[in-house]
Amino acid sequence: MNIHFKIPTALLDEVLADLKRPHPFAAERLGFLAGKCCSSREGLLLIAHSYLVTPDDWYIDDNAYGCVFGPQAIRAAMQVCLDKKACMFHVHLHDHEGIPTFSRADLRESANFIPDFFNVRPEIPHGAVVLSSDKAVGLCWYPSREKPMRINKFSGVGFPMRHVGRL
Amino acid sequence: MKEQFSRQCFLGADSEQLFASLRAGIVGLGGGGSHIAQQLAHLGVGHFALFDPDVMEMPNLNRTVGATHQDAVAGLPKVRIAERLITGVNPSAVVWPIQKPWQQDFLALRACDVVFGCLDGFTLRAQLEESCRRALIPLIDIGMDVHEASPYSIAGQMVSSMPGGPCFRCVQLFKEADLNEEAARYGAAGENPQVIWPNGILASTAIGFFVQLFTPWCDADNANAFIGYDGNRLGLEHDVRLAHAPRCGHFKGIADLGDPFWQAEL
Repeated sequence: MNIHFKIPTALLDEVLADLKRPHPFAAERLGFLAGKCCSSREGLLLIAHSYLVTPDDWYIDDNAYGCVFGPQAIRAAMQVCLDKKACMFHVHLHDHEGIPTFSRADLRESANFIPDFFNVRPEIPHGAVVLSSDKAVGLCWYPSREKPMRINKFSGVGFPMRHVGRL
Repeated sequence: MKEQFSRQCFLGADSEQLFASLRAGIVGLGGGGSHIAQQLAHLGVGHFALFDPDVMEMPNLNRTVGATHQDAVAGLPKVRIAERLITGVNPSAVVWPIQKPWQQDFLALRACDVVFGCLDGFTLRAQLEESCRRALIPLIDIGMDVHEASPYSIAGQMVSSMPGGPCFRCVQLFKEADLNEEAARYGAAGENPQVIWPNGILASTAIGFFVQLFTPWCDADNANAFIGYDGNRLGLEHDVRLAHAPRCGHFKGIADLGDPFWQAEL
């Protein structure tokens, strides 16, 4: 199955601006993208609609990790997931150019909490995205499948189109 | 860079690869859509989804690019004519010739990176726009008419519908009254006058917008386009309705995206 993640370029700029802001103690910021999905002849379309900012005081000061979010962040994301029947994608930034990668910690922690969204909305996919300043990678947890699938293609949709293929 | 694209290298170092990776949907392969197909093929677009249920008839021959007299005699499907035209220019192009209304193969439409609407009628335009908005696909629409007016006038337009931008209703391409009137006339299609050259001008304008959308060659701010064509005065100009279009209130919520009935294949 090919998985294509689409995001309006205005929304992408909003996300990047937020994730680049410094935090009092966290090395990285995080947020959640809410969106919808549909099928295409090639597989699955994931369409981002809005972004949940994580307020400064929802982070936990933990020296072992670049950023740790508290229960308020996941609770807020769960609520949007439930209310809007939204596909939820955790997003954070590796602030460099080029294709980012999931760190071991990213993969481990994503595998721990992303499937929890199926407790709220088991019928739609959820996942995680790592942005760089110009590229993206992502994983998608598909309903009823244990292991996540790699997102094959990212498109920033706007004028001009942003780096079609990979963000 | 392939030699056949060497003259368009100013579009960007990656433009050849980019065009080759794109899938363009063309809805309607008549007078407007056939021009679109031809130009996209020459640009090097690599993937096509062609939607048109109709077959070629003799009255279409005055304006369908790529069609032959024999095609009209044989009643060849319009999508097959366009497929032949495309692969004749770009043999490596992958073409989905879908001889049905796009509503009957919307999965193929959703697989497109851009859609060109070349349809007759407001209702079909409205439906296509909604489908493209739901899948976050840029839509570039063209259309023209010949009106009886002392004695005739030719008018047309190229209009974009970009996610987040003003929609067809916002720019008053049509209004609800137009849709209602069209519904009341359902079945009385008639045969509208049609000629080749306005379609060519509008198709070329649409292609120009498409290239600006996907390549960095030009920094003109044409984020949303509504270009009107006056076929009597032979002029193109930006339609003022775009400048006065409100912030779109027709496609704004998360409920306007995706498939509300989507279910995972288990």
